[in-house]
Amino acid sequence: MKILIADDSRVMRQIVIRTLRQAGFGDHDLIEAANGREALDMTQSESPDLVLSDWNMPELTGIEVLRHLRAAGNDVKFGFVTSESTPEMKEQAESAGALFFIVKPFSADRFDEVFAPILG
Amino acid sequence: MSVEVEVNENDLAEMVEQVWESYLDPEGVSPLIPTYDENQPSEVHSSVCITGSWTGHVVYASSTRAARRAAGAFLAMEPDEVSEEDMSDVLGELANIIGGNVKAMLPPGAFLSLPQVVLAPETTARYPSASRISGVYGLWDEEPVSISMWHSRGDTSSTTNTTNNNKEGAE
Repeated sequence: MKILIADDSRVMRQIVIRTLRQAGFGDHDLIEAANGREALDMTQSESPDLVLSDWNMPELTGIEVLRHLRAAGNDVKFGFVTSESTPEMKEQAESAGALFFIVKPFSADRFDEVFAPILG
Repeated sequence: MSVEVEVNENDLAEMVEQVWESYLDPEGVSPLIPTYDENQPSEVHSSVCITGSWTGHVVYASSTRAARRAAGAFLAMEPDEVSEEDMSDVLGELANIIGGNVKAMLPPGAFLSLPQVVLAPETTARYPSASRISGVYGLWDEEPVSISMWHSRGDTSSTTNTTNNNKEGAE
């Protein structure tokens, strides 16, 4: 499976990748996007199976990326890994079609819990 | 009376503890030891700005050594292998994580900025009309680290979309 990690923080992308490995998902093909625009473009050009996106990013926010994708008929599995979490954001994410909402700081156990059903 | 602040020092301390447990001290061997000294020195700092239902800043400040160490812990590197870019990125992420957690506790309608990192002491930063309302101050392996919240009082030009009926500045 190909997984796109979208976060404007290089550090956080590395931590997400490390945590994916710790949770046993390191064998998947992991690709990275450094802002929302790049995330949108790469999702369209690279066709990942899953997108893990930050919420607060330059160019386009994570929710804008998801809405653009859905508006273009792209139904890639998409979820948020973000330090921001409010009930309204979760609602927006869900109604835009997000599968999950992981709040930073997170653990490998949390990744396992969320991704095991998705990645097998 | 100003806008009610729903995030107190205990809440901040809990967020800080989670960051330590998850990233900076997963083994639980070097916690942040409280000093309660809001004037402790810093050499670098990062901040995020919150606007909307509450307006202010969340600031992470530390010594350069502590920042290097934090970057090493985040990136699984030795502190002396850490570049300035690594250090800046990690400082920004720390402000972002804590700011995001703070925002989650505020009334709906708060917006979080992207983090700003300054490789200079926190005392070089000036937040217009803002005063420190709470903070966690401590030593991490004898190096100073602090996380503080600054509330901007009254209308300031940095406030976006606040309405004039929000007359909290009377105090």
